[in-house]
Amino acid sequence: MSAGAADHADTIPVRVVAIDEVTPQIRRFTLEPVAGGELPAFSGGSHIIVVMRGAQRVYRNPYSLMSSPHDLGNYQISVLRVDPSRGGSAFMHEQVRVGSQIEIAHPVNLFSLAKLARKHLLLAGGIGITPFMAQLHDLRAGNVPYELHYATRSPTHGAYCELLSSAEPECVRLYHDSHKHFIDIEGLLGQQPLGTHVYVCGPSGMIARVLDTAHALGWPDSHVHYEKFAAPPTGDAFDATLLRSGIELRVQPDQSLLEAIEAAGVDAPYLCRGGVCGFCRTEVVAVDGELVHNDHFLSNEEKASGKVIMPCVSRARCTKLVLDL
Amino acid sequence: MLITGIRSKPVYAPLQPDLGGRYHVMVGHGVGAAPLARLLGELKSAAPATLENTRIWYVNDPAAPQSNADVFHAANVAEVRVFDAIDPLLADLTAAMDQALMGTRLYVAGPESFMGLIMRIAHQFNLASDEVRAEECGTMARRVHCIHCRATIEGVRTNIVECGCRRWLVVRDHYSRRLAAYMGVMVDAEAPGERPDIKEVFL
Amino acid sequence: MNVAFKQDQAYRGAYTFRNSPTAIRRFPMPFPEDRYMYSVNIEPHTGGPKGSVIEFPIDCDEHYVEECRERAIVIENDPLRIQALPHMMSAQWDTLELGMLSLSQSYPDRFTLTRNARNWHWINRPLGLDQKFVFGDPKSLPYEPLEYITRQLQGDWVIMDQRDNDLWVEGGMVTGPADWSMDFDMGMSFKEWHGPVPLGHEMGVFDRALKFLLNLRLNEPVRRYNWTMTVNANLDSSPHNYPDWGPDRTTVTMENVAKKLHLRTELQGLWRLPRSNGIVFMVRTYMLSLGDIATVPKWARRVHRVLRDLHPALVDYKGLTRHRPVAVKWLSQFDDGSPTTPGIAPE
Repeated sequence: MSAGAADHADTIPVRVVAIDEVTPQIRRFTLEPVAGGELPAFSGGSHIIVVMRGAQRVYRNPYSLMSSPHDLGNYQISVLRVDPSRGGSAFMHEQVRVGSQIEIAHPVNLFSLAKLARKHLLLAGGIGITPFMAQLHDLRAGNVPYELHYATRSPTHGAYCELLSSAEPECVRLYHDSHKHFIDIEGLLGQQPLGTHVYVCGPSGMIARVLDTAHALGWPDSHVHYEKFAAPPTGDAFDATLLRSGIELRVQPDQSLLEAIEAAGVDAPYLCRGGVCGFCRTEVVAVDGELVHNDHFLSNEEKASGKVIMPCVSRARCTKLVLDL
Repeated sequence: MLITGIRSKPVYAPLQPDLGGRYHVMVGHGVGAAPLARLLGELKSAAPATLENTRIWYVNDPAAPQSNADVFHAANVAEVRVFDAIDPLLADLTAAMDQALMGTRLYVAGPESFMGLIMRIAHQFNLASDEVRAEECGTMARRVHCIHCRATIEGVRTNIVECGCRRWLVVRDHYSRRLAAYMGVMVDAEAPGERPDIKEVFL
Repeated sequence: MNVAFKQDQAYRGAYTFRNSPTAIRRFPMPFPEDRYMYSVNIEPHTGGPKGSVIEFPIDCDEHYVEECRERAIVIENDPLRIQALPHMMSAQWDTLELGMLSLSQSYPDRFTLTRNARNWHWINRPLGLDQKFVFGDPKSLPYEPLEYITRQLQGDWVIMDQRDNDLWVEGGMVTGPADWSMDFDMGMSFKEWHGPVPLGHEMGVFDRALKFLLNLRLNEPVRRYNWTMTVNANLDSSPHNYPDWGPDRTTVTMENVAKKLHLRTELQGLWRLPRSNGIVFMVRTYMLSLGDIATVPKWARRVHRVLRDLHPALVDYKGLTRHRPVAVKWLSQFDDGSPTTPGIAPE
């Protein structure tokens, strides 16, 4: 089966209705749907890809939704200005204003609360607080015990500290590096009842420390969660030639090989568009580089042969890829 | 309809110590004492200090009473609790798990139908598959769930079995952890009276 | 589309189920070619030709009312056909929202949904229901949300939790299954629940399907087709009541096979759920008698060939052993060996 070149994943146009300077480096954006009404429901821990069309290129950055899943009139995200930045966070801080219109993809959750947990232990560092803000709404409404431990550089750098500690002081502990008050990761992880799940979101060093400590204390991987964002199979741009039709095309960094082929007007076969069904299997005639296989269909031998590719999810690191299409 | 070769059938393996765990809970029934004794020996040689954080629950097999608990008492673990019936062990173990901490490993040895009951407790406490190890030993007799009247039939050793609802059931390999039982389906619905010969297969 | 609801048909007893000519033409033939084997035949569920079973996300056809009545009878006889584990309540609400939004958007003449914040007002004209309730408050509905909405939906519905890189069956309304029990399978993982399917595991079909579904996204539902055969228009062919429908398999003869034997297609839809982050799995069943199949020459030749050459393991698994020879023999009269066009369309 094949179809036209329409992108099957729709984005939602939203307008920025408020920007708050939460700290000198962190801005909170409130987004409402241009079409009015409500935004799609989501689960705490979800993120959205924000599509920002700059003068030179398109940015696609993931940001955790921090607003309540029970209030769908708007979404709220917080953006940390990363210095130096040539990327999306600079764009958000400098180019996006109240009234700006941007596009967002539908929420994706790779950091959800475990439904069978007997207790939730949330560990946040800096901007990593954002997914937990959304999850706190669900946790408060439920009856499973939870604790949030939130570390920031200092009270002024601590986004939302006041908001959090006033909301439920028994469940929230704040730590400030400036006061030499640090989360006792080993102490915490060594004392949790069976069936506890731990969730960490923050700087990569913090995540690594939590993962290592949990492992050393005998926690199974399935009970240790750290925030990940959906990584669409992007990569460097490369050129491709379709041998039989003679068409030459360029595959952009944020576009799949299949999408580029379709954009060039070729009706290539596909079915699942997710790398599992085998329908789009295409022979590789030549590649002056290496194929990057992101599918779950080809065998290891087929992947190693360099003679076949699944264009819906796979790419190449090369200058030129020649396909038998 | 597939009878055997079904992937829901649990797979067991000889118990091995998991030194990544900090607390070790061992549970055994009848002849399960032997694998647990072997496990204790391996733990003792690999990391003797772990015995201080090891506790054992054991139930004597009424069909073959032996005082296997002796080997446990001699091992100098933190606690040994011996029972003469399964239900009190389940209640006691549940209470203990309620106080247990993350880092606990559960080892079970005994007949499958006993281990299924322990697995349900493990599930209640959200134990992950890599926190639990199970070695099957003793009788392979199955707990069967009649899919028609939903009755439970214990200790089934034969390929077909007559249920209280008067239907003859073929015992499939399709296993439910929630029910801790295998599915029994009427064997002669399409041709009443036409049944395979009854054979002892789960011994 | 003007659909005359058939109030007096039944899926039991006298089996008065019949397909109109419209229903015959729109039947989803599950064989795009003259032979059949499993595959991960997943595709985006984003609409289809006008009048087809995939035009709308949830199809409501001429059998709607009596299929809902059949569901009510099954549940009354066996209340355990509708279950949900306690942690699946948000998935229940997600499914209710999906059902109500879909039906009211696709068939505005039959279903109306008005929402004012959490105060919802649902009208189902074919079933004569008018319900005001508070979204999120189970006490404001006569049943729990999953039961409430699935009593008004055709097809079986299963809700799954996603955790530990796997999917777990933890709730559903299953009153028309092709020989599986949700009660027995509750709590199973994806591969455990598919345990009884032969060959699929060796082929890696379930590994790939699971990997795909773990990445299923909001607003991007998918579908696939499955099939089996049923003697009489017996929707509820569950293991529980196998003693009732099992014997029918031996009653198929050359004289009655056209009326009795039905091809049974499952249109399976899968949606990512927003609040629970789970997945809901719709198994929508369409039945077509062999006699009706024979009115479409291409289908008669195609089905003859598929059945004749079917892999023995699939013959056994799909329960076709006893009546396949009769079906193949009866259909052979329509097969002159001429080629069939690829794809499932009637010509």
